[in-house]
Amino acid sequence: MEKMKLLAEWKYEPKKIERGYAGRTLYVNIGDRSFKEKPVTEDMKEKFVGGRGFGLKLLWDAVKDTTKWNDPENELVISGGPLCGITQYPGSGKCYTVFISPLTEQTYDSNAGGYFGPLLKFSGWDALEVQGKSDRDVILFIDGDNYKVEVYESPFEDINAVTITEALHEYFADSEEDKRNISVASTGKGAETTNWGCLNMSFYDLRRKTPRLKQAGRGGGGTVFRDKKLAAIVVRKRGVGPVSNNPADISVLQRTGLKLHKEIRDLDDQQNKMRKVGTPHLNEIMNEYHLLPVRNYKFGQHPEASKIHSKIFEKLFTQGIPDGCWYGCSMACAKAVDGFELKTGPLKGKKVTVDGPEYETCAGLGSNIGIFDPEWIIEANFYADHYGIDTISLGTGLAFVCECYELGFLNKDITNGLELKFGSKDDLMELIHRMGRGDDKFARIVGLGIHKMKKVFAEKYGAPFDVMEKIGMEGQGIEVSEYVPKESVAQWGGYFLTLKGPQHDEAWLIFMDRVNKQLPTFEDKAEALHYFPNFRLWFSLVGLCKLPWNDIEPADNVIKYKGIEAAKVPEHVQNYVDLFNAVTGKNITKEELIVQSERVYNFQRVFQLRLGKGTRRDHNIPLRAIGPVFPEEWEARAEYYDNELKAAGIDSQGLTTEEKIRKLQEYRLSQWEQLVDAVYKRRGWNKNGIPTVETLKRLGIDYPDVVEVVRKHSKPEDNWEE
Amino acid sequence: MKWLATYPERCVGCESCMLTCSKTWFKEEDKELSRIQVSSSESGYAINVCNQCGKCIDYCPTLAIKRDNSGVVRIDESKCVGCLMCAGFCPTESMFVVEKREKPFKCIACGICSKECPSEALELKQD
Amino acid sequence: MIRVNGEEMEWRPGLTVKDILEAKRFVFPMIGVWINDKPVPRDKFEATTVNDGDEVQVIHMISGG
Repeated sequence: MEKMKLLAEWKYEPKKIERGYAGRTLYVNIGDRSFKEKPVTEDMKEKFVGGRGFGLKLLWDAVKDTTKWNDPENELVISGGPLCGITQYPGSGKCYTVFISPLTEQTYDSNAGGYFGPLLKFSGWDALEVQGKSDRDVILFIDGDNYKVEVYESPFEDINAVTITEALHEYFADSEEDKRNISVASTGKGAETTNWGCLNMSFYDLRRKTPRLKQAGRGGGGTVFRDKKLAAIVVRKRGVGPVSNNPADISVLQRTGLKLHKEIRDLDDQQNKMRKVGTPHLNEIMNEYHLLPVRNYKFGQHPEASKIHSKIFEKLFTQGIPDGCWYGCSMACAKAVDGFELKTGPLKGKKVTVDGPEYETCAGLGSNIGIFDPEWIIEANFYADHYGIDTISLGTGLAFVCECYELGFLNKDITNGLELKFGSKDDLMELIHRMGRGDDKFARIVGLGIHKMKKVFAEKYGAPFDVMEKIGMEGQGIEVSEYVPKESVAQWGGYFLTLKGPQHDEAWLIFMDRVNKQLPTFEDKAEALHYFPNFRLWFSLVGLCKLPWNDIEPADNVIKYKGIEAAKVPEHVQNYVDLFNAVTGKNITKEELIVQSERVYNFQRVFQLRLGKGTRRDHNIPLRAIGPVFPEEWEARAEYYDNELKAAGIDSQGLTTEEKIRKLQEYRLSQWEQLVDAVYKRRGWNKNGIPTVETLKRLGIDYPDVVEVVRKHSKPEDNWEE
Repeated sequence: MKWLATYPERCVGCESCMLTCSKTWFKEEDKELSRIQVSSSESGYAINVCNQCGKCIDYCPTLAIKRDNSGVVRIDESKCVGCLMCAGFCPTESMFVVEKREKPFKCIACGICSKECPSEALELKQD
Repeated sequence: MIRVNGEEMEWRPGLTVKDILEAKRFVFPMIGVWINDKPVPRDKFEATTVNDGDEVQVIHMISGG
């Protein structure tokens, strides 16, 4: 690669990490190419902790109430958190991206593995804020070895992820060995042509001799990235070691890490087999329990699901390589297919390493669009990453398109010649390539996401809006992730009573609620929808991955603990408390851990409100998410659904299937409203889903500008009756 | 391949191997820092030392662990990031981690301890 | 008759925990089982029989994807 043209340069002072914090954040305006450092205050650490908390705080200070996703003042903030970068404990390399989303038009956060978060911090920065819009494609380089930030003009004609990432690892490294000291954040052409742009964060795989890509997939962060004309952000820091994070007490990290390594060594093969198959161990489990989305969530099970069984992926994934996406991750779920020869698209014939597919991709770009072909899924996964498109939104979005096509709302004239039925492998792959090229009008419409597709299909092609409202699996503007939530009232909340839309990073309560029957009352469900979202949010504050929390459990977990306590995996929760204290030198308890999360949870809720969202109206749920919409869905489990009606006290004698469906919908919608009330009460929000001033005070986030937003939007009639 | 064979039934528990080892490699007499660990067991003494099986090589994310020309498994400290996966996954738990060292350490079959052993419980082998 | 997660299930002599899990198609590997509030170790599912009238709780240890 030729020498890149330097457009701007800024030098900074080296800074030692103190107990997990660099103590400052980096601001870059990519528009006027200005730079500054901002101090991290004690209050910021206390109230926002780090990671997503810092991202939201910095974004709050940067935007106006009226800021849209593609306004120059929107930012992309990337932050690891105080535990990010420790090498001793599995899952400690995550970073969190925060931005106003093109899909949801409110704040979004999405996390990625790879080395970006740790290397950014060890370069001296707790967070990176990028604001403004460049006039040309640029590469932002943070040189943690020489303490400078540089902006280069991008020399790339093909800005797609794999091409750019490989080239930049090569360009900025002195040797093959040096490549692991670099991480590249990138996306691709699909992030420009759709709202589903993901960010790929790399790490260099020394054994495979190729960079690997981990995605901050959801919410359209990649689209914001390209809107700013960022082609890549590169960070380089050499010499990372066991005490780069300068913890208060390394012995706790060693002891706790070693204990978990041994637990994984001894138990993973009998538990989730994360080391061998990664998250696709869920493929067959979800199918067995009617939770695998099939044909746009119409069904939860399919006979052909055996073709995407994890046994098949176990053979496809190269075994015996330490597939951690950061040092010390012995859970090693970052599986990859090597030597995969691409059969289609611009790189046809090339042999590549494909990261994944993970469960969500197997379901989204598989069963949900009626495809049960591992090779096809791997190919689609590769190109989605390469073009910078979120595989989850893509999968759910394509599933919606297929159903619209089969319902006759779309035809070949509209799709520019593609027959987009469920299972139409070639035509669906071609649609993905059209997104990657951006030269096709219909592909552009699809890339707007389901929320906007519904409007366009209705206005342009006369498709019935009411039907699309029922079957379009989105909430708050973003596509549902890949679990069928229909039969679990608590999971309706887990998906749709969320800060940023239906993905499962807040709560996954289907088994607890529906199979284990541990949440019989609305209050029980509300309690779970308080604890789990807050517990899980904590990972995003400190820079950890959720998986080593409960994808492995101590051998005696279910002997020592019972019921919901066991589901919390208390010993691992204690690990996290210990790790936090050992790094920061603080002394929090497991209860305070939840309060740390609750602060940021409520702050983000108020942030959505400030941007014109964040009320009860935005907690909408499509009918497909709460039960069958069409008779074929009912008939597939007729006995089960007849029993559901009976259990609800509804006499179904003599009713047609359509009438039964309507009855069940009415009943479940009333349950939904009861759930919303119970959850809002438990969270300390008013009837309209707005945190009360008392809640803000209790959490210590009653900053004047935060209180003002709440006051402005709260009405007396929304208070709960005593 | 060079490796240290052990005969625990001959061990008298004098710990001279441990003191020699830590003094040779860490310049201090501290049993905790020995790359061979002797502990009392029901039937006498147990000796825990690396058998150079090399499983740890495959767990290292930075390729810091390699087998050298004489078959001994060695850690390149400049590459080690202290993730401890090698220690956690060692089948015989002979990769040692202590509080005062940020990085793990192991026997490199130098044989010095076997010369110090008064009861011929240790033997440097080459096969 | 026994109860499994609150639902009635036919009992027969010699019925084991493993039989119950198979009948219910509870195939997830990380499962906790309690019989009348007493935990059953995972490696004893096949060897453990239930008595008529027992209250069986089967908990899937999964709360996240």
